[in-house]
Amino acid sequence: MVQVVRDAAGAPIEARRLTKRYREVPAVDGVDVTVLPGEIYGFLGPNGAGKTTTMRMLLGLVRPDAGTIRLFGRDPKEDLLAALKGVAGIIEEPRLYSYLSGRANLRMLADFDRSGVDRAFVEEVLETVELRDRAGDRVREYSQGMRQRLGIAACLVRRPRLLMLDEPANGLDPAGIRYLRRLLRRLSADGITVFLSSHLLAEVQELCARVAIVAAGRIVYEGEIDELRARAGRRYRLTAAALERAASVCAAVPGISDVAIVDEHVTFAVDADEALLALTRGLAEADIAILALVPEQLTLERVFFELTEGPAERETVPA
Amino acid sequence: MIGGTLIAYRWELVKLVAQRRTWLGMLTAAVGPIVYLLLELAQGPPGAPLANNLGHTGVGFALVVFKLIAVVGPAIIVALIAGDIVASEDMEGTLKTILTRSLRRGEVLAGKLLALFTYLAAAMALFFVVSTVGGVIAWGFHPLLNISGSRLSALHALALDVPAVAVYCLPVLALASFGLFLSVVTRQSVAAIGGTLIYAMALQGVAAISAIRSAHPFLLTNQFTAWHDLFQTPTASGAIVRSLWVSAAFALPPLVAAWVVFNRRDIAS
Ligand SMILES: Nc1ncnc2c1ncn2[C@@H]1O[C@H](COP(=O)(O)OP(=O)(O)OP(=O)(O)O)[C@@H](O)[C@H]1O
Ligand SMILES: [Mg+2]
Repeated sequence: MVQVVRDAAGAPIEARRLTKRYREVPAVDGVDVTVLPGEIYGFLGPNGAGKTTTMRMLLGLVRPDAGTIRLFGRDPKEDLLAALKGVAGIIEEPRLYSYLSGRANLRMLADFDRSGVDRAFVEEVLETVELRDRAGDRVREYSQGMRQRLGIAACLVRRPRLLMLDEPANGLDPAGIRYLRRLLRRLSADGITVFLSSHLLAEVQELCARVAIVAAGRIVYEGEIDELRARAGRRYRLTAAALERAASVCAAVPGISDVAIVDEHVTFAVDADEALLALTRGLAEADIAILALVPEQLTLERVFFELTEGPAERETVPA
Repeated sequence: MIGGTLIAYRWELVKLVAQRRTWLGMLTAAVGPIVYLLLELAQGPPGAPLANNLGHTGVGFALVVFKLIAVVGPAIIVALIAGDIVASEDMEGTLKTILTRSLRRGEVLAGKLLALFTYLAAAMALFFVVSTVGGVIAWGFHPLLNISGSRLSALHALALDVPAVAVYCLPVLALASFGLFLSVVTRQSVAAIGGTLIYAMALQGVAAISAIRSAHPFLLTNQFTAWHDLFQTPTASGAIVRSLWVSAAFALPPLVAAWVVFNRRDIAS
């Protein structure tokens, strides 16, 4: 699907064996990440996995204990400013000067970029993030969502070729999240590479074709999200009146496996549509009403389960 | 280096102007001499150098106030800004925002240092203008008797006031440098501000130890009186020259340490 394209300048991000320890405890432990030009790449992991620490190292805020970084082929260790050229990012929530206006913050950062960006461009970016009419207010008067948008604006005034966003959907309402997705798609269409971290698979699966999953500082999966989905299999969630009996019916249907009762639902894996047909027949014959039968969202938890085949935290129903 | 420093400096000034604590410091610098003036009008002069001019002329008033505020007065104004200038950005998390642009960390720090010195110069200028105008309103624009007892015309004395205030600023800049250092290493405004004040008081305490009298000229606190050179007959320069290098000797180590720490440290807030 995604072609491995390597222009002369090198991939937007190429990190090898990246390691950072805090008091001997590794926060990031030999992480390899390769992000290709133009893609939206998902960097997934639960709380404390090491996503933020990795991004801090990529942006030169934190010094790696070991490993190498190349941004568009340039080594930040040799010349940080040269390596960060065309790179912008937000680590955790954006932090701007609360006592300055949004506009003043952006003008300052544009000056700090030393790229000769003019004030008209700052206004253009304010327009893009829909903050033009509040741009003169102090940032301390902004809502959380407005601050997130200002943070994105702070990245855009840099005219980045690579954008690193650390859990950008945090604190956004559904409309804000939709807006963010639209914006990221548009930026991506303009050729900007996006490196996006999240602890929710659902949040990135519409945007990203490729992801890395990190847990306890190590990469546990890197590749196509479709492959991940295929590996995790098709799963459904059934809500029915008689749960125990419904679960037994499920377990008896050929093509249905991994049946479990989780929070007032029966969950199971399905290998083909025929199995679903057999299940609905079976339930009808057993006089069990189907209240709901829905496909399960692929979750990070589920992926972990598939990747590690760790112990299930639920009661398994014998066939 | 210079271009980046100037960009950082300019915006650092914008930030200082937009912050309340800056104006609090300026207010202290302006109100201090007025309060003292009112006390003086009620009570009469103490034994500070040039204090015998109080009641006769206003031109030396700023210099008389120097004796009263000693080391702690400027230390308060310095600590308030210097202690905060890096630490507040650590606490607010804005360092990660500005250090991922196209300025080197050294340029950002140098910009902050220049802005800090500019603020100090502004506060001292305000202090000088307020106390001189206040003194002149109270006692008039008349000739002044210098420390040696010679008579200086009002204009001559006023012309000497300006370099005297500048000389007084030298050890204040050294205090500011230490405050900046604490701001970088503690990452906590309160610790850096308090630490700078404690440092100033400790220096004063050391200067009070008579057993090390021979070392006194080389202590930072003694540089606060180097301006006396200008109000002697004949005018001297030994103490001023010494103040230049003693103040520099007190300023450089903390500045170098701040530089090294700021360049190397992880920004993990
Ligand atoms: N400055 C620090 N000092 C000590 N430990 C740290 C520091 N920063 C991170 N850690 C530790 O490193 C590990 C990884 O943290 P990190 O913030 O990178 O995780 P994350 O994947 O971003 O998590 P989250 O989803 O909660 O944001 C955690 O165990 C954390 O406690
Ligand atoms: Mg994080």
